[in-house]
Amino acid sequence: MSLSNLLNNWAALRETRPYEDQYKNSDYKWGMVVDLDACTGCNACTTACYAENNLPVVGKETFAKGQVMHWLRIERYWGDGEQLPEFPEQGAQFLPMMCQQCEAAPCEVVCPVGATHHTPDGLNSQVYNRCIGSRYCSANCPYKVRYFNWANYPEKAWPNPLEMQLNPDVTVRTKGVMEKCTFCVQRLTEAKNVARTQGRKVADGEVTTACAQACPASAISFGNLADPTSEVAKIWKQQQVKLAKDHQDKEEGARGYRIFEELRTYPSVLYLERVRDNEV
Amino acid sequence: MIDRSEEKDIVVEHRFIPRDQDIDDEIAWAKINTDVLQSMERPRPLYWVIFFASLLLFSWGVYCEIYQYQNGLGVADLNNPQVWGLYIATFIFWIGMSHSGTLLSAILLIMHADWRKPIFRFAEAMTTFSLMTAGLFVLVHLGRVWQFYYVVAYPNERWVWPNFNSPLVWDATAIGTYLTSSVVFLYFGMIPDLAICRDAASGFRKKFYWLLSLGWQGTDRQWANFRVAYLTIACFLIPLAVSVHSIVATDFAVSQQPGWHVTSFPPYFVAGALYSGCAAIITLFIILRYVFRFEAYMTMPILDKTCRLTFAIAMVWTYLNLIEYASVWYGNDMYAKQALIYRATGSYAPFWWAMNILGSIVPFALAFKSLRANLKIMMVVSLLLNLGMWLERFMIVTPTFAHGYYPWTWTNDWWPSWVQWGIVIGSFGWFTMLFMLFCKLFPTVSMYEVKEMVFHRKSSRQAKK
Amino acid sequence: MSTTAHTMALFNDFDGAAIALEELRSRKIPGFRMEDVTIKSPIEHPELSEMLGKRPVYVQVYTLVGAVLGALVGFTLIASAQANFLVQIRGGRPLVPIPPDMVITYELFILCGVLMTIVGCFIGWKLSGKRSPLYNVSISVDKIAIVVKADRNAISEINNIFSRNHSLEIIGE
Repeated sequence: MSLSNLLNNWAALRETRPYEDQYKNSDYKWGMVVDLDACTGCNACTTACYAENNLPVVGKETFAKGQVMHWLRIERYWGDGEQLPEFPEQGAQFLPMMCQQCEAAPCEVVCPVGATHHTPDGLNSQVYNRCIGSRYCSANCPYKVRYFNWANYPEKAWPNPLEMQLNPDVTVRTKGVMEKCTFCVQRLTEAKNVARTQGRKVADGEVTTACAQACPASAISFGNLADPTSEVAKIWKQQQVKLAKDHQDKEEGARGYRIFEELRTYPSVLYLERVRDNEV
Repeated sequence: MIDRSEEKDIVVEHRFIPRDQDIDDEIAWAKINTDVLQSMERPRPLYWVIFFASLLLFSWGVYCEIYQYQNGLGVADLNNPQVWGLYIATFIFWIGMSHSGTLLSAILLIMHADWRKPIFRFAEAMTTFSLMTAGLFVLVHLGRVWQFYYVVAYPNERWVWPNFNSPLVWDATAIGTYLTSSVVFLYFGMIPDLAICRDAASGFRKKFYWLLSLGWQGTDRQWANFRVAYLTIACFLIPLAVSVHSIVATDFAVSQQPGWHVTSFPPYFVAGALYSGCAAIITLFIILRYVFRFEAYMTMPILDKTCRLTFAIAMVWTYLNLIEYASVWYGNDMYAKQALIYRATGSYAPFWWAMNILGSIVPFALAFKSLRANLKIMMVVSLLLNLGMWLERFMIVTPTFAHGYYPWTWTNDWWPSWVQWGIVIGSFGWFTMLFMLFCKLFPTVSMYEVKEMVFHRKSSRQAKK
Repeated sequence: MSTTAHTMALFNDFDGAAIALEELRSRKIPGFRMEDVTIKSPIEHPELSEMLGKRPVYVQVYTLVGAVLGALVGFTLIASAQANFLVQIRGGRPLVPIPPDMVITYELFILCGVLMTIVGCFIGWKLSGKRSPLYNVSISVDKIAIVVKADRNAISEINNIFSRNHSLEIIGE
């Protein structure tokens, strides 16, 4: 059975990804745009992510040890590397960083048990019950957006009755497994199911991630890159960024870029560069 | 007046043995048997002291692991991005140490360098036990240790297989193959010796050796098949040993992290492994020679040759080390260059400098004949060389995490916790315990091979006359 | 009462045993063949064994078969397993990538080669025919033994040859 499968599908089995227009005929390819000019660093997205995905609050000491569990982190960079002396808080730039759902994810290759893969709708999946916690995926991630459960956080994070607040659509992870941003896959699955029962595809704006939903400045946009009429697809096109290219031919002044593109991870998150205050 | 006219055969006890002769070829075979079998007699009190000390260290390691198992890996002070720490560094150290046995046994066998004959048995034992110790670390560093078997390709009802693209699965295959082949090689090569033990033993031990020696009687058929099989396995073991540590190196080399994505990592790791193993052979050589009074077999000329071999390998390692720095320094990859500068000047700089001094400068002590003849200095030097190699593994793993691609994740002053140190120390206790058990149950010098060595040297010396 | 008997003679060194073997071979005693002679020694001596006649060793055939089969079966198993996975696209690589498969195939090639070598050696030991019950512990120390299986009437003449050639001990069945 498996040998004939191997021989019949040899060409398909040898295909490498991503290739150009890979998702042209697909129903879904989830992508994101983050506008760094709009981001104020308020951390509402992070908090929403905590609430939506049952992330444990680890406490001050554990946080100081570097064992924090935020799937989406707001990184703070002081402008041009220096704090402005007159307005010390004004020079900061904020970068929301979450799993980039790379098309050629370095984490997927190295998991020894195959707990992480790429789904047909373009997400990097993490299978908690397969993970044995070797942490090679995190070692290989250039963005370091994978978070490991260093302790049995559920024991202490939600003392009764706080466990009532947990999202029933999302599992609670035990110690020893790796987790990361999933683009709120539970919302996506539900939206796809609803759409399928109605015999249609998910419309643009029908489903969004918790972080995009919570952002007061609408800095985060989420949608279906395979649908050319969706907002994110339009922004990607406008910024002349192609998913399957590691070096984009863009004109000067285009704000859109992907982080660490030269590493050929082909991330699915586009960042819109911040327009500098003094340039305006 | 004593009538001395009847004394015909005067047996001279202390003979003048030429200084560069590897072994005295007039040693009687019966004496070889007696000397080596005597090492397996009831141990003296010092043996028990050291054994229980190792047991204590191992127990401490076990306690640390139980604590970590129950509370999660956070107690090891690992974090994002420092996800691997000492466990992986020490794992690679132990795998590296295991290459010595293969080098001595297999490579020198194929080159017909018979000076390996008195020393390869304990080197092979060291290989086997190093691999067993390394296997411990594979388990210890997992987040969910109880599901380690997911890495094994066993048929299951969900048809879920491990990820064969992952270097860790290659590791599992390679180390499994290496452990199996090493144990087979060690046991198989011991069969004639186990027959000697069987013939000399009594009671329970006789039964034990009778079972293990598989009816060996030394017939010509048995010897002919044995020799061919032994040589064939040795021929397999050499490419296997090279491939095993190369595969361990690909754990890092296939990752694109700065400081790891280096093409020369596979040969660099293999050179480091041979280096580490040879230094450990020198250490154990000196210990066993003293403890079991094997001065007639583990002679100074053989130690001399082993030291020179270690020096040669040290220079190979030094070259590969320096060429890595040179190619990064003169290259255009700014990430790799920054990683190198961080290693030399960051929080871990003292260890980097120590590694380079211990790994490249201290081995020059092995280049001087007068120093090679000094057992105390060689003991200290060999331990320092191994320390240098452990530091090398640490310096490969930790600084890349501390100073990777992403500036926001850069961390300084990350140090492992007492739990990590405890488990590392425990592994040394485990290794020592296993090795000490081996010394008392099995002959640490290969009796039949030493007989062959003596026989061939004597016949060629007599043929020359 | 069986017609064959065994006898064993111990010698101090290989040269003494060689002379005895030479005489055994040249004498052509009825009821005795050179194939029924076994040498038991603490170390091997290929030249002495050659005097017994050509007895080929087949271990490496097993090795070759084992290694090649191991590699082929290994690659097929792994590639088929990869082809059968449900959700498996990883890192943009092909579903059946060649470099990882080559690495694992290589390791299995060596593993199966080693194991089959051992099997071949054990079979070679067993196939050497009935093992004579005669054995002396001094063989594992430093004596060389020649063990002969022959017709009962030939035994005394064989023992004569042994004692003429300075054998240390002659042990009968």
